[in-house]
Amino acid sequence: MSSIEPFAVFDCSLVRMPIGRSCSNMRELLESIRTVPDMVIEHHMTRCALEDHFDLYEFPNDLAHWCWDMLGDHVLAEKLGLVDPYAHQSIESLRAELVNLIEERVWELDRVPTCPPGLELHFVGSRLIAYDTGERLPTPAALFETLPRLSLRSFFYHMHNARRRSGGRTDDFSNWLECYGADPSLVARLRAIDVYFLNLNQLRDQMVEAFREHSTAPEVALKASA
Amino acid sequence: MQQLDRYEDVVGHAEVQRLRNLAARLEGRKIVHVNSTKTGGGVAEILGWMTPLMKELGLDARWEVISGPPDFYRVTKTLHNGLQGLPVVFRSRDFELHHEVDKQNAEKLNLGADVVIVHDPQPIFLPLYTPKDQVKRWIWRCHVDASRPNRAVWKHLAGAISQYQATIFSMAAFTRPLPCPMFLIPPSIDPLSDKNCPLSEQERLETVNRLGIDPERPFLLQVSRFDRFKDPIGVIEAYRMVKPYYPEMQLVLAGGPADDDPEGAEVLREVMDAAGEDKDLKVLMLPPDSHRIINALQRSATIVLQKSLKEGFGLTVTEALWKGKPVIGGACGGITLQVHDYHTGFLVHSPAGAAYRIRYLLRYSDKRERMGRTGFEFVREHFLLIRHLRDYLCTLLCLDQPGEMDLVA
Repeated sequence: MSSIEPFAVFDCSLVRMPIGRSCSNMRELLESIRTVPDMVIEHHMTRCALEDHFDLYEFPNDLAHWCWDMLGDHVLAEKLGLVDPYAHQSIESLRAELVNLIEERVWELDRVPTCPPGLELHFVGSRLIAYDTGERLPTPAALFETLPRLSLRSFFYHMHNARRRSGGRTDDFSNWLECYGADPSLVARLRAIDVYFLNLNQLRDQMVEAFREHSTAPEVALKASA
Repeated sequence: MQQLDRYEDVVGHAEVQRLRNLAARLEGRKIVHVNSTKTGGGVAEILGWMTPLMKELGLDARWEVISGPPDFYRVTKTLHNGLQGLPVVFRSRDFELHHEVDKQNAEKLNLGADVVIVHDPQPIFLPLYTPKDQVKRWIWRCHVDASRPNRAVWKHLAGAISQYQATIFSMAAFTRPLPCPMFLIPPSIDPLSDKNCPLSEQERLETVNRLGIDPERPFLLQVSRFDRFKDPIGVIEAYRMVKPYYPEMQLVLAGGPADDDPEGAEVLREVMDAAGEDKDLKVLMLPPDSHRIINALQRSATIVLQKSLKEGFGLTVTEALWKGKPVIGGACGGITLQVHDYHTGFLVHSPAGAAYRIRYLLRYSDKRERMGRTGFEFVREHFLLIRHLRDYLCTLLCLDQPGEMDLVA
C-alpha cells in the first residue's frame, strides 16, 4: 500500500482581462505579439481549450484559429497551429517563436491580409484561479472511477496547467500515478497523450481509454464519459 | 434551506459548494451596487438576485439607486445611445446636468464600502463627488457595447473612468485601452426566477390564450424594450417575408417600459403603425413585473428572435435558450457569445437573413429540437448566476492580489 498523499482534485476559473487592443491585419498581429503582456500570450496560446464550447476549433490556439478563419491566411495558420507552447520554458521563448513565424510570413507577402470589419482579434490576458475541491482520490482505481465526471476545467488544470507548472514535463495525473507506484506503462501511456492537440472532451476520452486498457481491477465499473 | 441551496438541483452540489468556498475568502467585504433603476431592463434584474445572494455568501452587499429629474434620464439615454455609436447631439448644459445629478446622489446615497460597483453611465461621476475615505475601490461595470462610441460621449465619460480602479465589460470587443485593469464578466440569468422557472402546462396555455395568441399555431417571438436598437420593425419585415409560405404563422412582439428609457413610447408607436391591422401580429406592452407572462411566451414560442442591431449582452437570448428554444439573433454584441450557427440558433444580418433562418428552422423540426437541447446545456454551463457570482468573487480576489500570476484560492 502506497504511503503517498491521495490525489487532490482541483478545479479552476479563468479571470479574463482584456487589454483594449486588437489587430485586424497580419502586420498589426506581428506588432502586437511583440509587445503584449506575457499573460496575453499565455491566454491565447494555452487557454482557448476552455473556450471551445462546441468542440469546433480546428487549431489549438487562438492565433492560428484567427489567421485561418478571420484573416484567411491558411499558410500562417497552419504554422501557428503547430507551435507547442509547452515545449517552451518561458513566455519569452514562445513569443520569439511566434514573432519569427509571423515575420517570416509577412516578408513573403506583397500585401498583408486584413480581416473583415467586426472580426478583429481582441487581445485578452487571463489569470487562473485554482481551488481545491476537497475531493481526495486515494488509489488509481478511485482516480479511474472519477475521471468521467471530472469537470473539463479540472482536466484543464491537471493536464494543461500542470505542464506549465512543471516546465512542460508532466501532468498531475501521471505524476501522481508514478509516485504511487502504478503500472509504468499506464504512466507512459498517459504522458504520450498529445494534450495540446486534443480538445478537453477528447482528452478526457483518451484518458479514460488509457485507464481502461491498463485496468487490473475488474470490480471497477468502466463508465464511458458522458 | 438557504437560497443558494436551491440551485444545487440545477448546477450540482459541487458548484454551489465551490462558490461558498471562494466567498469565504471575502467574508464581510462591504459591496455596494449602484444603478439608475430598480425596475425594467437587464441590470435591475441581475442586481435583484445578485444582492441577496452575495449577502447569503457572507458579503455585506447593498443596492443603491440614483434618482434625477426627467431631463436627466433624457440626457443619460442619449449618452447610452452615443456610447453604442449612434450620432447624438449634446449641449454643454447636458453634461453639466449629468454632473449635478451625480453630485446630489453622492451626497444622499449611502456609499461607504470596500467596493462600489457602478453600473453603466448614469451614475458614472459618483467617485468625483464622494469623499475619498468612504470607498476603498471603485469599479465601473459597462453593460453596453462601447466598441465604437460617439467621440464627444467618450470624452465626457473618460474623465470619470480615470477615477475607477477597475472596469468590467461583457466582451473584449466592447473595450478600449483604459488606465485601469479591465475584466470580462458576461451577464447571466436566474434559473429559478419567475421568468425562468418551470411552468405548468395549464399556466402556460392559459397565459398564451389570455393574450389572444392561438397556441395551436406556430408563433415567432421577440421580447425586448421598444427600442430602435432591438429592430422590431426588422422583425416585422422578416415575419412578412415568411408569412406567404406559412400563412398560419403568428408574430408576438412583447416589451415593457424601463424607468430610464424615455424613447420607449415613441418606438412603440412606430411598431404599432408597422403592425397595422394584422390579427396574427400581436404587440404587447407588458407591465414591469410580467415575468411569468414572458416565461410562458418564451416556452410557447416556436422560434425566438432577438434581431438587435446593437446589443450589450441580450439576456432575452439566454432566457430563450434556457427554455430550449433556438434563437435567431442579430450578429452583434453579446448575442454572438450565445448564438452559434447550427448549435444554438443562427446569427443574421438583415430581415431577409432572419426570414431565411426562420424558414430553415420551421422546415427542420428535428434540428430545431436538437439546437434547443444544446442551447439549454450551454446556458447551464456558462450563463447561470452561479458562474456570474463566481466571476465577481474571482475578480475581487484578483484585485486584492494585483499582478499577472495565477492564484490558488
